[in-house]
Amino acid sequence: MDEVAKPIVKIQNLRKVFRVGFWGRRVMAVDGVSLEVQRGEVFGFLGPNGAGKTTTIKMLMGLIYPTEGTASLFGRPIGDPSGKAKVGFLPESPYFYDYLTSREFLRFYGHFFGLLGTALDKRIDELLSLVGMTHACDLQLRKFSKGMLQRVGIAQALINDPELVILDEPMSGLDPIGRKEVRDLILRLKESGKTVMFSSHILHDAELLCDRVAMIMKGKLVACGHVSELIAGDTTHEVEMVIDRLLPEALERIKPLAGKVVLQGERVMVVLSSQQAVDQALEVIRSAKAKLVALTPHKASLEDLFIREAKGIQSAVGARVS
Amino acid sequence: MKIFSIALNTFRENLRDKLLYNLLIFALLMIGSSLILMQLTLGEFHRLILDIGLGSINFFGVLIAIFVGIGLVSKEIEKKTIYTIVSKPVARYQFLLGKYLGLSLTLVINTAIMAAGLLAVLYFQDVPVHAVLFKALGMIVLEFMVITAVALLFSTFSSATLSAIFTLAIYVIGHLTTDLKAFGQKMEGAGRSVLEGMYYILPNLDRFNLKGNVTHQLDVPAGDLLMIAAYGLAYTAFLLMLASVIFQRRDFR
Amino acid sequence: MWFSSTPSRDYTIQMSAIVRAGLLTTGLISAVVLIIQFQQHLDDRIDQGHTQIEQLAQLPRAEHLKPALLGYDNLGADILWLRLLQVVGQKRITAEEYEWIYHAMDVITTLDPQYDYIYYVGGVVLTNLANRVDLSNRLLEKGFKENPTIWNIPFLLGYNYYFIVGDAAKAAEYIAASARLPGGPAYLPGLATRMYAEANNPETALQLLEALWRQTQDTETREVLENRAKEIMIERDIRLLESAVRQYQTDHGSLPRALQDLLSSRHLTQLPQEPFGGRYELDSKTGNISSSTHPNRLRVFRLDKQGRV
Repeated sequence: MDEVAKPIVKIQNLRKVFRVGFWGRRVMAVDGVSLEVQRGEVFGFLGPNGAGKTTTIKMLMGLIYPTEGTASLFGRPIGDPSGKAKVGFLPESPYFYDYLTSREFLRFYGHFFGLLGTALDKRIDELLSLVGMTHACDLQLRKFSKGMLQRVGIAQALINDPELVILDEPMSGLDPIGRKEVRDLILRLKESGKTVMFSSHILHDAELLCDRVAMIMKGKLVACGHVSELIAGDTTHEVEMVIDRLLPEALERIKPLAGKVVLQGERVMVVLSSQQAVDQALEVIRSAKAKLVALTPHKASLEDLFIREAKGIQSAVGARVS
Repeated sequence: MKIFSIALNTFRENLRDKLLYNLLIFALLMIGSSLILMQLTLGEFHRLILDIGLGSINFFGVLIAIFVGIGLVSKEIEKKTIYTIVSKPVARYQFLLGKYLGLSLTLVINTAIMAAGLLAVLYFQDVPVHAVLFKALGMIVLEFMVITAVALLFSTFSSATLSAIFTLAIYVIGHLTTDLKAFGQKMEGAGRSVLEGMYYILPNLDRFNLKGNVTHQLDVPAGDLLMIAAYGLAYTAFLLMLASVIFQRRDFR
Repeated sequence: MWFSSTPSRDYTIQMSAIVRAGLLTTGLISAVVLIIQFQQHLDDRIDQGHTQIEQLAQLPRAEHLKPALLGYDNLGADILWLRLLQVVGQKRITAEEYEWIYHAMDVITTLDPQYDYIYYVGGVVLTNLANRVDLSNRLLEKGFKENPTIWNIPFLLGYNYYFIVGDAAKAAEYIAASARLPGGPAYLPGLATRMYAEANNPETALQLLEALWRQTQDTETREVLENRAKEIMIERDIRLLESAVRQYQTDHGSLPRALQDLLSSRHLTQLPQEPFGGRYELDSKTGNISSSTHPNRLRVFRLDKQGRV
């Protein structure tokens, strides 16, 4: 890490042990997580539900105190007001003061940053149009749908024009249109030079948006790096072929090449896992005068990595148990 | 500034709470009902109006202080609204103080409305109003402030239901602490120290009760009043500091 | 700790956290000190004992108190009893204050009519310390009606009627009723029989007094009972001396000039000691004996055989 580009978020060996239930049983929610977020990047914090994503973010925002380890925002220890002043935060499935209208709500939060009067009103108008909520600015939040709340929540996170925006599960619970809007918003934030860190259990979104991702499972960091690097390390390239009018003897010749064969009446779908197998299969199709309907290369995705890591963790846990 | 806007927001939250209006209307009805009851009694009409009026103001104010007070913090945590506040550059004690001042403002305005109702009844019945009535109202507000601080303290570490039970218990015990001391003096050894310790640590809420003085038009010397006020404020400060310490250490899961 | 989130490398921040913690601790401690100070100041300004005993007078009648207790009648009775105990024995109680105590006991026993200990204490205290046998009897008769199986309530009634009211026949009835109830001491039936037969015998009275003395733990009450026993001993001694004087008169045809004469004439082997440390004096004109400490004789022994004055 070069000294010029100091990380904006720096997490070092963060650990959180919760005590649950009457007897205070110890549960390790986050187990030695270390990561850094650089200025200007979109950073995805990924993992299944209950992996410790929200706990880590809450520790960053000073809502929960770490059992061990340290973290800093803009070089200031967490909880320090000067660090918090440059951050915008959207909690997971946010709930807000439902007796307020969105305008009152944003005005309230603006006061925490010393924003006042017309400057604040102007900022609120900008934000409401940014998240597309101008039409509902005088409606009490109790009448809002989940998508509308999410938008007002994002507006709230941006009230102080933060350098770093931390979003906890910003896409969960939204319909496809809502998700697309949030994705667009994140990209727009990136364009305007902001750093975005968001958590998600939906890997597709992360793949589309993120420069770098970190993957957390059962409280432990299992992968961290650029999306392309993480996927490049993965060797499973698969190609899916859909063929019409394939004669039985031709099918017999393809079967040994394929990892999976599915018959759908006239149509056959085969999955091939090497370039060589694809070449041979194409040869057979051409000679048998069959018709190739579709050929889809399956790019390795974060999902594959995710599933592999999940299996790895499970077998490790299994081994420890036995 | 930050404390002030949290206080204002809390005040606004209270204003949009139906519970408040229900209690307020009930209190005003009670004060008004003294006019009807008056026709049944003989002799001291004034006394009845003052007793019912001050009693209602006190009782409904305490209900508001307890049942709104316990929700001040626990509701924010339950509804996760606190996440967005604490993640802003707002210290936790500022949040707590803001919530407290917000409800105190609500209670002051509430008491003012109820007192206005009482004064209107007194005026139309030609009841002479003495200065001690206003002193008693001031002490009632002071009692509300102590009770609100108790409710706030409990709500920083327990659920709303538990906080309500605890605060009600403190309210009842707070009016019986004189007995604690009297019983303690009859005992020896550990029992005595425990009871006397409780007497000094628990709020002596009976100190704020000047309702009897109003009924019998017994003025309270300014020195006494000042001492009671100092006691109430010191106790409130103690509760708020304790609440801040507990709240500062809390994880919001 | 709540400041554990500060990284160790950031020395100044850790320092400020320690300073803050120190300030907070100081603040908390000084608040507690202030609270206690103010409490004590306020305590000094208002005489608590005075207000407490007056509260008893303001205690509403049990019929009005009951609805406010929401069914916690027994608990209410317990709390009132605790408060009452703080008042009784707190200081010299005036006649008026005894009336408030009676009122409080009446309220407690209405809230919980089976609280038999209250009747007992009330019966003893109101008779012997307050000299209000009327209130004592009223409370005890209420208790006897509510608790017909508690032996010491009619026993106290018997005592009241015998010594204070001077109605030996009614007293004997109560003692007999008491003797029929379970749990009483073994000598009660014998006492009852004697009270029917020889109501004006000092020995009967002494036996009754001793029975009550054994029942009572309160030192103040016991003192009163001991004094009463000594008064009866005076009566017993006077009777002994007077019968000796009469004997002397029959034998010698004239009254003795002094009590010493009874010894020299061998009508008595020794003169009784006056229990209060005084002397017995002989009126040489009438032959009557009197005590130097208690010149008036007890009324109860001026009854006739039917128990009438």
